[in-house]
Amino acid sequence: MSDVIHNLSMEEKISELEGKIDYLEAKVHALESKNPVLEMQHVEKHFGGVHAIDNFSVKIEQGQIHGLIGPNGAGKTTIFNNITGIYAPDSGKIIFMGEDITGSSPHRVAQLGIGRTFQNIRLFSNLSVLENVVIASGMDATYNLPQAIFHSEKYKKREKMLNDKAMNLLEIVGLQDKANERANSLPYGHQRKLEIARAMALDPKLLLLDEPAAGMNADESLELVDFVRQIRDHFKITILMIEHHMDVVSNLCDYCTVLNFGKTLAVGTPTEVKNNPDVIRAYLGGNE
Amino acid sequence: MIEAFNNINNAVCGFLHINPYIQGVVVLVCINVIAILGMAVLTGFTRLFSFGNAGFMAIGAYCAAILIVRHNFNFLIAMVIGAALAGFVAFLLGSLTLKLKGDYFLITCLGFGECVRVLLNYFKKFSGGSAGFPGIPSYSSMLFSVICAILAFFIAWRFIHSKYGRNLTSIRENEVAAEAVGINAFRYKRLSFTFSAVYAGWAGALYAGYMMYVVPTNFALNKSIELITTTVIGGLGSLTGSVLGALLVTLLPEVFRSLSNYRMLIYGFAVVLIIMFRPNGLYGYKEFSLKRLINRLKGGKAKTGKEAA
Amino acid sequence: MFLQQLITGISIGGIYALLATGYSLIYSLLDFSNWAHGEFAMLGAYFAIVFANMVGLPFMLAALLGVCGGALISFLCEKLVYRHIRSTGAPNMFLMIGAMGLSTIFQQVANLVFTGQYRSFKFKLPVSTIEIAGAYLGVLDLISLVLTAVILVFLIYLINKTKFGLNVRAIACNAGAARVLGVRVDRSIASVFLLAGSLAGVAGILYGMKYNVFPTMGNIGLKAFVASVVGGLGSVPGAIVGSLLLGVLETFVSGYISSSLRDFFSFALLIVLLLVKPSGLFGVDVQDKA
Repeated sequence: MSDVIHNLSMEEKISELEGKIDYLEAKVHALESKNPVLEMQHVEKHFGGVHAIDNFSVKIEQGQIHGLIGPNGAGKTTIFNNITGIYAPDSGKIIFMGEDITGSSPHRVAQLGIGRTFQNIRLFSNLSVLENVVIASGMDATYNLPQAIFHSEKYKKREKMLNDKAMNLLEIVGLQDKANERANSLPYGHQRKLEIARAMALDPKLLLLDEPAAGMNADESLELVDFVRQIRDHFKITILMIEHHMDVVSNLCDYCTVLNFGKTLAVGTPTEVKNNPDVIRAYLGGNE
Repeated sequence: MIEAFNNINNAVCGFLHINPYIQGVVVLVCINVIAILGMAVLTGFTRLFSFGNAGFMAIGAYCAAILIVRHNFNFLIAMVIGAALAGFVAFLLGSLTLKLKGDYFLITCLGFGECVRVLLNYFKKFSGGSAGFPGIPSYSSMLFSVICAILAFFIAWRFIHSKYGRNLTSIRENEVAAEAVGINAFRYKRLSFTFSAVYAGWAGALYAGYMMYVVPTNFALNKSIELITTTVIGGLGSLTGSVLGALLVTLLPEVFRSLSNYRMLIYGFAVVLIIMFRPNGLYGYKEFSLKRLINRLKGGKAKTGKEAA
Repeated sequence: MFLQQLITGISIGGIYALLATGYSLIYSLLDFSNWAHGEFAMLGAYFAIVFANMVGLPFMLAALLGVCGGALISFLCEKLVYRHIRSTGAPNMFLMIGAMGLSTIFQQVANLVFTGQYRSFKFKLPVSTIEIAGAYLGVLDLISLVLTAVILVFLIYLINKTKFGLNVRAIACNAGAARVLGVRVDRSIASVFLLAGSLAGVAGILYGMKYNVFPTMGNIGLKAFVASVVGGLGSVPGAIVGSLLLGVLETFVSGYISSSLRDFFSFALLIVLLLVKPSGLFGVDVQDKA
């Protein structure tokens, strides 16, 4: 992000730096107060008579890659949807970077710094790869309507900044050559990467990955593992991911939470969890 | 001031040998283009379907007419107020109805359009009722209308090719994903709706200045339906396609004057055939590009963009 | 006076219901609003007119043929147009636009063939009003009311108690699953169109008997659409309730307030209702799995 600053005027450089200082202060504060990045407290969600999430609590620390595993229908995606505001929990609290985001709307949650991918990849199919990422950087496009219509200096600078930032991200994930291709013309694995790149355009502090290795074979899954780890290391973010592939979980996750029927079955490192008798009985027996 | 504009128009048209009949056709084309551009933003780029934009045209038309005839407003100011009022009403209506699912939203727009028509018919003292509102000065000269149309296109183009247009298309492509990247879908949909209403009001005000007389039936459900089907025929997701669609829909009846009895029948067939065999319309998702046209003519690599919506 | 208005209102509501139920059935199956539905009624009425007035058949036979005509047109629209549009994977709105095109075509054809002249059935009821409880009630209204009630009861039985109805409801829930479980989806859809078309035909003939037959009478389809939305798109009981509500409201507004404001009140009711109950009275809020 620092390489695009030299395109702006002095004023804007100053305001950009001020923004960065705020961000760093918050990070330092978070680290100092040892606030977990994400904390869910006794979250409950039911649909009709079904308890999709039952008294779910978790604490995820800065820099962790935390896995959320469990059989289909265990409530994992529902948890994601509660965090990102698609549903509001029936009770309980969700705290992000010290701020209570329970029941906030999805766009607000995204603006606060939580990015996510979806189980069934949700790209802007008919738009180009580049546009997909540019759209996600929309928060940097701080010009208003008249400025957009008359192509004021601010508009031009911001648009260039958006494009540069998006290309940067595409380079990091290795998709820069496909920038002008239509998003749904990419092979599946690349669409996944694009979805992740797009989520990263939000400058998120927390990234939610919903079954990122779904539909991938063993080789692709390995590649994905490296990719996710690189993302975490490069951007210094925290990752919460839903996964079925146990080898992905073992290789990647620092900790994981096992869910069954909306209830937490076990929490711990992948090794601990793999050896937990309850878990073995409920889940790991018939996994692919 | 109207006289001054009209004099300039007559001078230019005289110089270019454009007779009044053709001038009239051009004005109608411009009016349709502006209304359709608004629909393109709403339906083509945001995928919201409204069956009530004729109601916004009526608001623009009657507002401008009443301000000019009864209160001696300058016609430019009256037009701006008319379009702004239409936009304001859309803003209010959209705030209430945009939370509804697609089919339901569509029908509230339909209801709105009909309500406007019924109310205009009913409050005779205000609007002239079903007999119409006469005596509007003729300010929609060809030159002025063309300037309006070009301006409308310019603004719409800039709008679409900025974050505004991008965010709207992202909502169209995948609303859940759009929200997940920080876009407030509701606010943007409302913006899109308001934009289409402002343009409809603008077109309506121009219409009033052309016909010099407005009747509520000018802005009935048929008009709203015509706006939508023309937008679809022109191609959803393309501004130039919409302009082309507007051109076609206005010009073809003039060209096939002798078949005027069959005009609507042909139109109906055109809609059905296009939807069946070329649902992306004339342009669908692509804007007209001189480069591409030249490439195609040269027999070079043509980039075709046929995809199912 | 009140009773008279009520009977008229319920009777016109019944006619709307015949349209709205077919409309809702199609919506629940295919998730699209059949804009040409009113034209099915119009064409059914014209068929009956042709057979009754021009060919000279006895009225009941002509009416039956009219109903069949409505069913046939409906079936053809599905087979030739809608099915094709669906097969291109187009979004549902495109189906609706196709329907709008068809609606225009039908109206224009009727106009060209029959001209805009109002037609009425040569058949007349022997008694036109009867006196009940001091009020003069139209016999036609009463017959219409009873007939639509019988048909609707039969329809509800069909949907809830027969295998056909079960298939239809299964498809409405999840077409893919239904197909896998052995339901002949395309057959069922075609049958529903036949059914909806017949209902529309009856509605058209009843309407033609009360008022007149003319090319743009298909606009009652719009009322049926409103009624379906009020009742909750896709719900057959909702369509019936919505239609009765609309019919009664319209009649009372016409009678007691002003006939020119009639449509205003109908649409205002619609908008207010949707604000309070966004999916209509009996509609179900379906959420996409994220």
